[in-house]
Amino acid sequence: MGAIELPAVVRRAPAVAAVVLYAWWASALRPFSWAALVAVVGAGAVAFAVALGARRRDAPGSATPPPSLGAAGALGWVALWGALAAWELAAYVQHPRGDHPTLSSLADDVLGSHPARALAFLAWLALGAGLARR
Amino acid sequence: MNRSATLAGYALIAAALLAYQLAGMRWRRTPTIGEALARVVGRWPAARYVLLAGWLWLGWHVFVRAGVR
Repeated sequence: MGAIELPAVVRRAPAVAAVVLYAWWASALRPFSWAALVAVVGAGAVAFAVALGARRRDAPGSATPPPSLGAAGALGWVALWGALAAWELAAYVQHPRGDHPTLSSLADDVLGSHPARALAFLAWLALGAGLARR
Repeated sequence: MNRSATLAGYALIAAALLAYQLAGMRWRRTPTIGEALARVVGRWPAARYVLLAGWLWLGWHVFVRAGVR
């Protein structure tokens, strides 16, 4: 009798649960504490290592090469992110902060609750894994 | 410039970013953000480490610098 092949979602459930629990714990740590720093840097290192390992397991040459970036396409992204940076800088140099909120101050308002911070931590981990796979 | 104007500016730029991404996905004439990053990293491998350093800084900024209220 052969081994039962579990669906991928079942096989990954324990790892996903562990990541969610870790995000819940890490996002509640006291600001500027060693525990918070280790939690962020450590989680980042693990996410990066896992993503690199997955990337090495992919068959070489199996990925479809992205289309040509082109100067116009690149300039579009540069212009948009540059506009965001400029708008943020303009807000940063003006006061009071309430009238000129920066992205950080807005994030502090939105991420004031533990569930929101835990979700943001998970999103941050996913972003890092995605970047490591590029 | 007051708070509403500042927030409107952020919303406008966010909408433009989203529209550019969706246009790339729909009409395939401009690169999506993923494609742009893939091309940059493919051309300059060191850029991956710059991006990851920025990502780590973001994590520090959001999760170490501030906490639950």
